[in-house]
Order: sequence, then structure tokens, then C-alpha cells
Amino acid sequence: MKLDLDVYSHQHSWMHRWEPRCKLIGLMGVIFAFAFVQDLRLLVPMLVVTASLFMSSGLPLTVLTHRLRYPGFFLLGMVLLLPFFAGETVIWQWGKLSLYQEGCLATILIAVRFVSILTIALILVASTPFLALLKALRSLGLSPILTDMLLLTYRYLHDITESLTTMRTAMRLRGGDRSRARFLIPDWRTFRQTASLAGTLLIRSYEQSERVYKAMRLRGYGLAQGQTNRQDWRSIQVSNILALGLSLVVAGGFVLAEVLI
Amino acid sequence: MHVPDGILPAQICVGGYALTGLTAWLSLRKINRCHDPAQGVPKAALLTAAFFAASLLHIPVPPASVHLVLNGLLGVILGYYAFLAILVGLFLQAIMFGHGGLSTLGVNALIMGIPALIAYFVFQLRDRAPKRLNQRLTTGFFAFLAGASGTAISALLFYSLMVLNVPAEMDVMAERIAVAGLTVAHIPLVILEGIFTAVLVLFLEKVKPELLRNTWSKASS
Repeated sequence: MKLDLDVYSHQHSWMHRWEPRCKLIGLMGVIFAFAFVQDLRLLVPMLVVTASLFMSSGLPLTVLTHRLRYPGFFLLGMVLLLPFFAGETVIWQWGKLSLYQEGCLATILIAVRFVSILTIALILVASTPFLALLKALRSLGLSPILTDMLLLTYRYLHDITESLTTMRTAMRLRGGDRSRARFLIPDWRTFRQTASLAGTLLIRSYEQSERVYKAMRLRGYGLAQGQTNRQDWRSIQVSNILALGLSLVVAGGFVLAEVLI
Repeated sequence: MHVPDGILPAQICVGGYALTGLTAWLSLRKINRCHDPAQGVPKAALLTAAFFAASLLHIPVPPASVHLVLNGLLGVILGYYAFLAILVGLFLQAIMFGHGGLSTLGVNALIMGIPALIAYFVFQLRDRAPKRLNQRLTTGFFAFLAGASGTAISALLFYSLMVLNVPAEMDVMAERIAVAGLTVAHIPLVILEGIFTAVLVLFLEKVKPELLRNTWSKASS
């Protein structure tokens, strides 16, 4: 399991240099505008905007195809089911099986919205270092408790996943994975072992958290209550503000077009 | 049970963010009433990471294997931190693996987080159970209820949202049948999740009982 988020975040494209707060607001605006689209005529402009943003990010296409793989299975389920179950206008029939026009159009709409939003989200995440993204969220008013939880969870996720892998290997080496499960019936022994494994992982994490808390406390964590981490908006370059304005105009354009068409 | 990007209309996504913001604010309000709110943060964060890793475990049920949701268990252990933990976990899943999505983060947090909070309150009912009853049996029973209710409510919310928001005209009766059918199909998973939660909670009660009774995750009312 690869957890490193910052593999592509230190490149030098314009998208990478865009100020994180402006980028977050601008791209999230575009994401929500795309989610607002219901009219099929807006799908081509949506794909054009998405492709332009992806090219400006300089990210390799393999990152996108890799990212699309897992959620793509869900989409495949929709593509296979929706045209046959949703709608009224039959465009093709074979026995009791009917293909509906409305279902097909809904599938196209969902597929394009899905690919576009996922690509924009990928651009946002892959072109911004994780810490910069957290700082931007904090600066935009995210609670310090949530920010700290996010940072610590991300920090220890790799350690805990490694710990789980080691524990599973140890269990397997002791012959603990010999499941006697039958068709549709789980093996009670394996079930209890998995519960104990998860329980041990929780206990280890809890004990580790006590050590982490003590170490953090010694460094003054939790003493500066109410201290905010608001970065100065005046330090942002004009070009970043202009890019933010442009992205919000594009987002607004989609919403307006959807309302007016 | 993660709704991906692009499926739901923007109104639902925005509504999901608004309700998630409200629930997170209420949870934070409860947490801030604790004696030392900072004390719970590393514990909740590391346990969130542990839940994240534990959700990768599968139970072999031939010919397939079952992946557990664990949101009920998360509610039992993390209390008011459960909703925040789910929000953090879903955000990380969305940005690291593309599971769920950024536009549907609010909706997904509600689908998984509200049942986790309900599971927490269900498990708290064991303190009101008559003391003459077998304590181990009582704990196991309420842990089962908490684990099962977490998954059952999540499944109901998820399929209701998915089927009712398909952007094409569907027969109302067909929608109802689809929601009911998909939720009923989850009954074996709900039972399995309840048993798993009960077994795990009884294990924790025996080995590390303070994990179930910690004051850091249970703010004063």
C-alpha cells in the first residue's frame, strides 16, 4: 500500500506554483460547479476545462489512469445496470431485456462528471504538498483539533499499517490462517483470530498514542489554546488572485449555463 | 459504502457538507467541554489510523471474503471523536486512493459518521442495564447492537441516496424495492459486523478495559 502523497507535488508547473489557498478555493469551486451540471450540452466544455487544467499541471497521464482504476469499477457497475433499469423510452429490446434512452444518457452524464471531478481532485492533491494543503485548510478556518488529527493520522498510518502486516505475518507463520470456512459460512476460529488481531492493533496504537501525547506535551502541545494559524492574505501574488478569479468565473459560468439553458 | 464523485447532484453534495459541518461542530463542542481536549487528539488520531488499517482485514466467507465497515466499533471506542475520525479517514481515502470523493466527502461522512455516533449512544446504554445481569453478556449484547446498527444504518442511508438520486426517471415502486432489496441483502453482513464488534469489545474488556471506559473520548454532557 503506497501512502506517499507528495510524489508529484514538488514539480514546477504553473499549477504547482499556484498558492494553495487560492488553488483549494478555485478548484473546489470548479468541482462543485461540475457536480451541478445536468445538461448534456455542457459535458464537452467540462471535458475541455478538465483537460486544460490537467495539461497545465504537468502530471503524467499514468497517475490519472492509476487513480481511475479502483473507482472505475463502481462506475462500470453503473454503466452496466443503469441503461437497462432507468428510463421509459425503449431504444433496443431483446426478450424482457430493454435498453432505455434516459438510462444511457444518465450513464454518460455520470461518467463524464465522475472523470472530470476525479481529475480536478487529483490535480489539487497531486500538485500540492500535503503539509501545504493542511496549512491552507487551517488558514481557511478548519478546526485545530481536526487539523492535528489529520496530520497525526497521516503521520502514523504507515507505521500502523506496517505493524498490522508484521502481526499478520507472525500469525500466518504460527499457522493462524488455516481457515476451515465452508460455502457461505465463516470459520469461527478465523473470525476470533481476526477480531483479536484487530483488537491487538487498537491496543498497540492506543499505547503508542500515550507515548506520542507525552512527547508532544513536553514540546508544549496544547498550551497555546486559541492560537490561530491564519496566513496573511496580503502576501499572495496578484497572479494567484487572478487565477482564483478566473477559476471562479469558469465555475460560475457552468452554474449560470445550467440555470439558463 | 463510499459514494464516488459525479453520481450525486451538487445540491445533495452541498447539503452533505452543511450537515457534516454542523455535526462536526457539535462533536467539537462536546470535545472542547472535556477537561483537556488536547489529550484526546493523539489518541483519536492513532486509533483512526488503526481503524483505517483494520478496515483492510477481510473475513473469508467462501467463495468470497467480507470486508468489514467497523464504523459501529469506531463509535464504541472513540465516542464523540468518532465523527471527526470518520471525516479524517474519508478525506485521506479520497486524496490517497480516490475512494469516495472530495465533492461527496460531506455525504459520505454522514453515511458513515451518523451511524457511528448512534452506535456510541447504543453502547452507552449498557451502563443503564440492571447490575444483576451478567456483565460480560450485557457488554457483548450492546456491542453487538452497536456494531450491527452502525452497518445497518449506513447501508440504508447509502442505498437510499444512491437509488433515489439516479438522474433518470425510475418507477417509484422499483426505487422502493431496490432500496429495500439492497438493504435486506446486507443483513448477513450486519450480523457478521455485530458479532465481530461483540468479540472484539469482549477482547478489549478483558485485555485493556480502559480503552472502553476512557474519559478522554467521552465528553461531559
